[in-house]
Amino acid sequence: MNSMHDAGSSRSFRWWHETVIGALLVIVLLVAGWLVPGFLKPQSQLLLSRQLWEFAILALGMTLIIITGGIDLSVGSTMGLSAVAFGGVHAASGSLVAASLACLATGLCCGAVNGALVSQLRLHPLIVTLATFAAYRGIAEGWSQGHSYSRFGDDFSNLARGSWLGVPLPGTFFFVMAIGFAVFLAKTPNGRFLHAIGHNERAAKFSGIAVDRIRFWLYTMSGLLAGLASLIYVARFDTAKADFGKGFELDVITAVVLGGTSIYGGRGNILGTILGLLLIHETRMFVSRYWGSDELRSIVIGCLLIVAVLAYQLVSRRRRS
Amino acid sequence: MSRSQTPTIGHDSNTVRLSVRFARLIRHREVGLLLLITLTSVVVGIKDIHFLSFEVWRDILVRCAPTAIVACGVMLVVVTGEIDISVGSLMALLAAVMGRMISENELDLSCWIGIPATLCLGTLIGVCTGSLVSLGRVPSIIVTLGLLTALRGLTTLMMGGENIDRLPEGLTQLAKQGLFGVPISILTAVGVIGLTSVLIHHIPLGRRLYALGSSAESARMAGLSEVRLKLFVFGYTGFLTALATIVDVPRLPKIESGIGSEFELLVVTCVVVGGVAISGGQGRLIGVLLAVVLMTMIRPVLTFIDIGEAGEKWTRAIQGMFILLAVVTDSFFSRRQRGSEKEHAA
Amino acid sequence: MTGTSGEKSTDSSGSRKLRIALLPKIKGISYFSSCFKGAEEAAKELGVELIYDGPTDGDPRKQAEMIEQWTIDGVDVICVAPNAPDVVAGAMKEARAAGISVITWDADGTTESRSFFVNQASARAIGEGLVNTMLQDLGPETEGDVVIISADATSANQNAWIEAMKPALGKSKLNLATIKYPGENASNALADGQDVISKYPNLKGIFGISSVSFPGAAEAVEQSGKGGQVLVTGLSTPNDMKKFVHNGTVRSVVLWNTVDLGYLTIHVAKALAAGELKDGAASIKAGRLGELSIVGDNVMLGDIMVFTKANIDQYDF
Repeated sequence: MNSMHDAGSSRSFRWWHETVIGALLVIVLLVAGWLVPGFLKPQSQLLLSRQLWEFAILALGMTLIIITGGIDLSVGSTMGLSAVAFGGVHAASGSLVAASLACLATGLCCGAVNGALVSQLRLHPLIVTLATFAAYRGIAEGWSQGHSYSRFGDDFSNLARGSWLGVPLPGTFFFVMAIGFAVFLAKTPNGRFLHAIGHNERAAKFSGIAVDRIRFWLYTMSGLLAGLASLIYVARFDTAKADFGKGFELDVITAVVLGGTSIYGGRGNILGTILGLLLIHETRMFVSRYWGSDELRSIVIGCLLIVAVLAYQLVSRRRRS
Repeated sequence: MSRSQTPTIGHDSNTVRLSVRFARLIRHREVGLLLLITLTSVVVGIKDIHFLSFEVWRDILVRCAPTAIVACGVMLVVVTGEIDISVGSLMALLAAVMGRMISENELDLSCWIGIPATLCLGTLIGVCTGSLVSLGRVPSIIVTLGLLTALRGLTTLMMGGENIDRLPEGLTQLAKQGLFGVPISILTAVGVIGLTSVLIHHIPLGRRLYALGSSAESARMAGLSEVRLKLFVFGYTGFLTALATIVDVPRLPKIESGIGSEFELLVVTCVVVGGVAISGGQGRLIGVLLAVVLMTMIRPVLTFIDIGEAGEKWTRAIQGMFILLAVVTDSFFSRRQRGSEKEHAA
Repeated sequence: MTGTSGEKSTDSSGSRKLRIALLPKIKGISYFSSCFKGAEEAAKELGVELIYDGPTDGDPRKQAEMIEQWTIDGVDVICVAPNAPDVVAGAMKEARAAGISVITWDADGTTESRSFFVNQASARAIGEGLVNTMLQDLGPETEGDVVIISADATSANQNAWIEAMKPALGKSKLNLATIKYPGENASNALADGQDVISKYPNLKGIFGISSVSFPGAAEAVEQSGKGGQVLVTGLSTPNDMKKFVHNGTVRSVVLWNTVDLGYLTIHVAKALAAGELKDGAASIKAGRLGELSIVGDNVMLGDIMVFTKANIDQYDF
């Protein structure tokens, strides 16, 4: 995986951020392994990784969006609405297949609305998704009337709770997708266009890249991924409810940005995002298993985000000068 | 873009003048917002005349006050091309600190110590944010996203699961009844709005902020200190958040760690709906203030039109639709405008 | 000893302290802090190690995550106050499969996910208790509107209480005008309170059924000067409501003894882990609370309490 297509950059070593994050990750793991007995055991790591996969799937789409200089604040709300669509259709038809399709289709539609507003009306993505963030969650609440749907059968929930060769199924699924995304980003023209758009949208447009079309499909895809994450989430908890995915958007953005994707666009890759996700996950696990304090967990994550990006800025600036 | 929607120009000079005038009028988002506010009030007033009563609007204005105060700061932040999404958590932290200091159940310090200390802390945190952004070159959305999480955690840790009440009688009286019947938060908001408007229109600092937002490059070449300007806007926002905390929180029954949750979203929404360009350099205070009124009146409006039990659960959806509507219609009109300007230029 | 999973050391000699994890719905609110006080008291008494952690935002997903962590850490008992029973059920079942005793407290989970439920009050008892208290304070023959101010539209507990309140209100002459959902936001709760007071001229009472909306509604009534005309009642810890009870805005506060709830939970957990409490037991000795009865698999704390001007100062939680 390599994403050395940042136009116009002349630095020789482009993996500073990944190195910084990787080093931080190793430090956290070493400290945690030392202080928390059994922290590094693969078995428990894999078991606890369960909480990670929905985030991870959302983070893939978010990485691409942020690379183009956009943002999607509505992913959490889209998850809520997709979950309600699943529950509602399941309650009406009793069919898991129909419900799953409805869940994915809802995600897709939510994303397409964002995409259309961003690409056709040329509204800033932050504005669009700030509005749909409230709207989708609200529709989910109104539609379900705040009730939860549950009991979709054990087979269904085993899909999300089960594992293959010790790796949870959603995890396997994520890694397959991550490879696909990484190849797309680094090896296909469209993938490279994303960096170009993020770098300089006007230049990209004048050089003949169909910026609007790419934008539209990007947000649509982000919605679809949210539908997918929601499906896994629903299966894992055997419940569908309108408040699913609350606060996910900020956690996902934190992971992506921590992973070295520039919030201004133009820079970022999937490897960084995976490292960012793992760093946050391991830090959370460590703080909560060592100190057992949820308050501390959010303080640490917040500071980690600021410190990591600050450290990267300092390192890369020194390199440049 | 927008080829076909251009108003008919060049057929009849009268139509031209009218349509241009209309377009100019409607281009100001303020007019659209004002229309929306008036229209909604009238419709709801017809449904239930109580809505237009003095008490209801006084309550609404009191609720607008903290949002308006903080929005004045966040607006300037956005004008310089940055963003601040930490104000809700900052408010919670400041409320906790203030409560700890002046509550009769806690340290019971004098207000004359507690209030200036709160203001200083707010400004200090704002300046720290600003220095991370300007000196540390960490994007503001990242700094404030980190603070959003961290400050909330810190507040919860500090409160230790207890609530703080019994703030000094004088302060709660000022917040609830106010001076001469006007709650202190409204007076403060008026003061802050005046100050901010002077700042924008009458001193060079304001123009510099706009210049920095529209092009950081040229601002730098013109010799403006980006660092100083950014320190100022974030410090100002921190100060205003502290001010909003001091005048608004004593109105609430108790200080708990959840104070100000989602406040940052409300403020940013108001700034955006009020027409401040998220990319910086553009935006008017009056638009933001109207947006604050509009966003704040949605809750009472929904209560007064009585949407029924099932309808109540759609509250959030209606709020979201309102925001979407405001944003989309505005883009529609400004596109028309841009289109016609282009044609004029051609 | 129960619990033989994960990394738990096998040298569990008799001297090893029992580790009991107590999971609240939301950490950092006064309700659960007072439960924790009781739990600490019991832990000291029984010589067990108490772990207290929970999501500060009440996210049930984080609850599930914490249960999974404790399962791996091999604690002896996990006491869960589920925020959404179905969401945490999977993690609870796995903990049980790993040999950890799991009980619920404050709110019940699905029956197969726990062995006992420390029951302070059923949703029905709470709902009916609230309506009866209101009727008592207003006079049973009062006619007029009442409003419920809840938390979020998705709050599972509040919704269950509302469902229980509706039939009870139906039997009275009060009319449920509307239900507001201000979320866990104090400003919104106050705002909704003010709005319903202006909107419904014939408003007789407001139910504030979350720890945020009850004081918010009381504050709204007080500020509008309608104290005495519009009564507010709801669920809250006495400390939070003392000032409103003393100034007459609120006549009764409904709750149970939360300190005792935490205290009892730890006693049940300890008895279960030590093998003193078996399925089908009819009663349990719980320290200073004496002998408490067990109905089915529910350990009963006792009736809900009503705090009024006369007795509220006797309680400090």
